Amino acid sequence: MRILAVAHNTFREAIRDKILYVLLFFAAVAIFGSKLLGWISIGQDIKIIKDISLAAVSVFGVLIAIFVGTSLIYKEVDKRTIYTIICRPMHRFEFILGKYLGLAYVLALVTVVMAITAMAYVTILGGSIDRTFLMAVVLIYFELLLVTALAVLLSTLTSPILGAIIVFSLYVTGHATGIFVDLPAHFDDTFAKHMLEIVYYVLPNLSNFNIRAEAANELPVTGGYFLWAVFYGVFYTGMLLVVASLTFEDKDV
Amino acid sequence: MGAEVIVTKDLTKIYSGHLGSGAVRSLDSLNLVIRENEVFGFLGRNGAGKTTTIKILCSLLRPTDGWATVYGENVRSRNARRFIGFLPENPYFYEYLTPKETLDFYGRLNGLDAAARAREWDSLGELLDLHRIANQRVRGFSKGMRQRLGFAVALVGDPEVLILDEPMSGLDPLGRRNIRELILWMRDAGKTIFFSSHVLGDVEQICDRVGILVNGKLTTQGRIDELLTQHVRQVEVILAGLSEADAKAIANGADHKRVSEAGRHFVVEDPQKADALVRAAQGRGAQLVEFTPIRESLEDYFMREQGDDS
Ligand SMILES: Nc1ncnc2c1ncn2[C@@H]1O[C@H](COP(=O)(O)OP(=O)(O)O)[C@@H](O)[C@H]1O
Ligand SMILES: [Mg+2]
Repeated sequence: MRILAVAHNTFREAIRDKILYVLLFFAAVAIFGSKLLGWISIGQDIKIIKDISLAAVSVFGVLIAIFVGTSLIYKEVDKRTIYTIICRPMHRFEFILGKYLGLAYVLALVTVVMAITAMAYVTILGGSIDRTFLMAVVLIYFELLLVTALAVLLSTLTSPILGAIIVFSLYVTGHATGIFVDLPAHFDDTFAKHMLEIVYYVLPNLSNFNIRAEAANELPVTGGYFLWAVFYGVFYTGMLLVVASLTFEDKDV
Repeated sequence: MGAEVIVTKDLTKIYSGHLGSGAVRSLDSLNLVIRENEVFGFLGRNGAGKTTTIKILCSLLRPTDGWATVYGENVRSRNARRFIGFLPENPYFYEYLTPKETLDFYGRLNGLDAAARAREWDSLGELLDLHRIANQRVRGFSKGMRQRLGFAVALVGDPEVLILDEPMSGLDPLGRRNIRELILWMRDAGKTIFFSSHVLGDVEQICDRVGILVNGKLTTQGRIDELLTQHVRQVEVILAGLSEADAKAIANGADHKRVSEAGRHFVVEDPQKADALVRAAQGRGAQLVEFTPIRESLEDYFMREQGDDS
């Protein structure tokens, strides 16, 4: 199948890219280094290690998604490798989806490697892994899928540097969308408030995927919430991929 | 005449200019018909609009105006692309793949199953001499090796039409000859070939027809031999049994070059005047020994069509 052929190739290219290993190295440093902070806050070390490890999985995953994702399509056009590909009897959206899936596959692998490292470390230090921790890892992966789709969309539109800046800004605001609605009372019913409400609903609300505090404190998260967050991620990601395919369909390369 | 394979109608491309620079009409109302099993040479200087045309045919670019079809299918449709094998100018492939992996990848994109892909590798690898470098990464390839791989990639899926952008540029004489032989091989295999070049010599030897593009406009198209017979530049006439005085009397602007054992040599600027000269001479009892149209070389023709604004 054509999409899988492109995906397979993208995967092969990414795992031969050194940046992946550099980022994985720093992720490992963050996970193992979390013990230092655990010592400082006496008696809390497992909690801190869980929190920092999950944060590391999320941040380094996002960095890979942004670095690789924002150049994914742009590079193919820039290096002209795309010429001999999209002149074939295939749809352009198949190319976009293939590139996306290839990177999604890389991120799945990276997430699993980082999560297993973190879980092994927690276990060795005497902690235990509960259901909430696993849910937190899965939701981080769905967050990465969304951020990757955003990066791929940007890479059909602009250069990797500009794309990375935009995706990173959206990542940061996406974790703090509350600021758009938690306004002081005197904003009530103003035009600005309505505009900001629209922004609130349009921007991806990435804090939906963040159950790290619950995981660190070993608090339960309902299956209902988990499924809702997964659905939110799949829906938003799907929309972004549709938009990316449409913008790319008639583009001159 | 064979069936129409590639047809373009008023094909036009205007690139929207970057910041400040105006829009450029890089291709202006191109009308072409390429027939089955033809080798068509698309000539023009750098910047004439050859690559622009080819990219539209391969659906990398959208025409601003007009349309193009391949076997009746609009080039914007996926069906048209089933017929096309494309070799870009300086083809680029994934540097981290080997030729074998590369052909396999393109075979998948063409929807070939594993057995068909293996057969493609056997036959195309053989044809383009890729078996020796089967497991080397593309990264270290020379220009010639890349071009061979590019041809193999273009031929994956056995397309009826080959569209080649400057297939010989940057190659040494041996490399150019190999490409010429390959194009003739493809013609003998029944393919239709459309290729661009800014080097006349490449085209002259293998094309059935040529089109000459100048600043985005097609100035000429036709069979090479016809293009040249239309442009007889001068005629040399040799007349025997003609006196000096008669020669002067009938010359009428013809250049009386010299006298040889054969007779008097004249060079006349156009064929009609040459006919008149011969009739006048025969009226005075002279015999026609030789009548030789001096044809323009394709080189002269090409240079003239291009204008002298170089
Ligand atoms: N992407 C582009 N944006 C703007 N102008 C372009 C672009 N590509 C080509 N051109 C211009 O179009 C003209 C034709 O280019 P091209 O088709 O590449 O010519 P050729 O292949 O005959 O050398 C040139 O003047 C070139 O500068
Ligand atoms: Mg060109």
